[in-house]
Amino acid sequence: MKRDLHQFQGPNHGTSIAGSSTSSPAVFGKDKMMMVKEEEEDDELLGVLGYKVRSSEMAEVALKLEQLETMMGNVQEDGLAHLATDTVHYNPAELYSWLDNMLTELNPPAASGSSGVNQILPSPEVNNNSFFAGGGDYDLKAIPGSAICRGSNQFAVDSLNNKRLKPCSSPDSMVTSPSPAGVIGTTVTTTTASESTRPLILVDSQDNGVRLVHALMACAEAVQSSNLTLAEALVKQIGFLAVSQAGAMRKVATYFAEALARRIYRLSPPQTQIDHSLSDTLQMHFYETCPYLKFAHFTANQAILEAFEGKKRVHVIDFSMNQGLQWPALMQALALREGGPPSFRLTGIGPPAADNSDHLHEVGCKLAQLAEAIHVEFEYRGFVANSLADLDASMLELRPSETESVAVNSVFELHKLLGRPGGIEKVFGVVKQIKPVIFTVVEQESNHNGPVFLDRFTESLHYYSTLFDSLEGAPSSQDKVMSEVYLGKQICNLVACEGPDRVERHETLSQWSNRFGSSGFAPAHLGSNAFKQASTLLALFNGGEGYRVEENNGCLMLSWHTRPLITTSAWKLSAVH
Amino acid sequence: MSEKRNRMVEKSNNKRRRVKLVPEFSINDHQDVLVEILRRLDGPSLCSAACVCRLWSAVARNDSIWEELCFRQVSPRPSPSLRSIVSALGGYRRLYFICIRPVLARLPTIIWSHDQLQLSLSLYCVHSYERLYVGAWLGDAPPSSLMFLRKPVNVV
Repeated sequence: MKRDLHQFQGPNHGTSIAGSSTSSPAVFGKDKMMMVKEEEEDDELLGVLGYKVRSSEMAEVALKLEQLETMMGNVQEDGLAHLATDTVHYNPAELYSWLDNMLTELNPPAASGSSGVNQILPSPEVNNNSFFAGGGDYDLKAIPGSAICRGSNQFAVDSLNNKRLKPCSSPDSMVTSPSPAGVIGTTVTTTTASESTRPLILVDSQDNGVRLVHALMACAEAVQSSNLTLAEALVKQIGFLAVSQAGAMRKVATYFAEALARRIYRLSPPQTQIDHSLSDTLQMHFYETCPYLKFAHFTANQAILEAFEGKKRVHVIDFSMNQGLQWPALMQALALREGGPPSFRLTGIGPPAADNSDHLHEVGCKLAQLAEAIHVEFEYRGFVANSLADLDASMLELRPSETESVAVNSVFELHKLLGRPGGIEKVFGVVKQIKPVIFTVVEQESNHNGPVFLDRFTESLHYYSTLFDSLEGAPSSQDKVMSEVYLGKQICNLVACEGPDRVERHETLSQWSNRFGSSGFAPAHLGSNAFKQASTLLALFNGGEGYRVEENNGCLMLSWHTRPLITTSAWKLSAVH
Repeated sequence: MSEKRNRMVEKSNNKRRRVKLVPEFSINDHQDVLVEILRRLDGPSLCSAACVCRLWSAVARNDSIWEELCFRQVSPRPSPSLRSIVSALGGYRRLYFICIRPVLARLPTIIWSHDQLQLSLSLYCVHSYERLYVGAWLGDAPPSSLMFLRKPVNVV
């Protein structure tokens, strides 16, 4: 047997390496194909050469080659025109995927989504068809489903199961192939790994990452079509796959997997209202770790500051009181403005605290102490409300607008109203009664409120992956973990809950613009001061790598590498009203 | 012999007397002058000066020195009303160490206009609020809203 020592090439999706070496692995494979049973020594030799493959898998390769041969015999002549170029494979592990692609290309996808999905249930008893993936030893099959291969490449999975092994004949003709780079659409390659005892070969995490995403999507699709047994199996697979990843992807996948599991088993997620202090702490850590809340606060404050110019008495109604972290900066800016500070009144609205402590009152006291220190006249009122829709304008003790200018502020709160029918309209009505000079709104920039579960899932997967990616650069690990838990709770609510329980109903700026426009609000443009401050703030985080501020129709968007994540917008009552 | 010796002793006495005629000047006796000098120093030099001796360390706590350091590059100069606010929040020295210096380190080419100043003051204000009023509430945790400024960041 002639074997050449080739440089091991990492498996890319179907790319082949047309190098100068002429040794044909198909010849090598032919020898291997003769052996039907597993031989560990050959595996070891393969490992030494740098091939990521087990000899048992070579049988599969043989099978595929045979299928390809029969397939090619049946295909029309002009269909073979693209098979003209040479291909040399250095890695027999790639042969399987390459062959699969060839087969699926020649064999148009016939099976519909559901039937294909049914066939991929892992069957541990079929040991000959086992491929190792990740670091664990379990049987995983390629995961099809229309969620992934949208009508393009469907795996010929039915041919894989329960086929007996046959020795291959005339493999030399198999060497010709197109360069697969142009052929392949979306594929899921099965990775192969050596036994865990051998130190040489490692997992290909890139492939696993793709598998992970596809598994998540397939699971979501199964949940949507109420195929709960399949979904259950997939959720377990996701758990294993997630562990093999590193960094942001692993965490996101874990949170989404947990949320999916909750949805499947109908476990309601832990009630957020119970542990108010916990969610406070989480939000504090989120505030510290990444710039999102700071960006939101500073840009909203700048808009409010500009709107309050020249006014002697000002009143801010805050729908998102929490710790009141937004207001020290505004009070300081008001204290420094020309002509001295105005008299500042703050009304804070928040959910009830679980331990019945007057949390809002405490926040008010702290702010009052600060206001006294910087010599700003301060007045405070706190309102506890389960939902913003429970508010009435009469409760707020509004004073005549000649004497007092009002601003309304909402940071990540308005989307929670979209679950209740009529909720958002009621709040808009209340705001219009308040007649504010400005209504600042900060919301997540993503559509997580579509009618179809799978669409929501996909959107949120992308959104939170980007968000977690941006957290990776944060220095402190404990803060980072807390921030991730904070985001994880949002993910859980988004995926696992339905109906009025699902409060994380994010919508994009264009959707909100439509809502505001049709409710009688006109956009108020955020000025260049806000933009400059935001740019400087972001430049301080992580050297400014990745974070960007963009202006969009007068609204400011914070993006991570071109993907917008949160948007600050300001609104005023349109002239008609 | 003794005459020569007498002459030598006399000469050295004269010398000593001559030296005594020049008045002794110690900067430590004129702390206002010291403050004026320290005010013109840049950050690292000022910090070294504050480490010289206990007296100088005490003098260096004079907030006007740090005010000068903070706003040297700012044009136009912020109004004097800023002074009372900053002292209420913790003083210029703290402002320099916590906000201005890290910002300058991260963005050496920054042009200190009104917006950058406002941003620094906002950050400082949040930090002070956390330190003075919120700290005990969250279980004695040190104020950390400016953690992102303090630690060196690994840009991977």
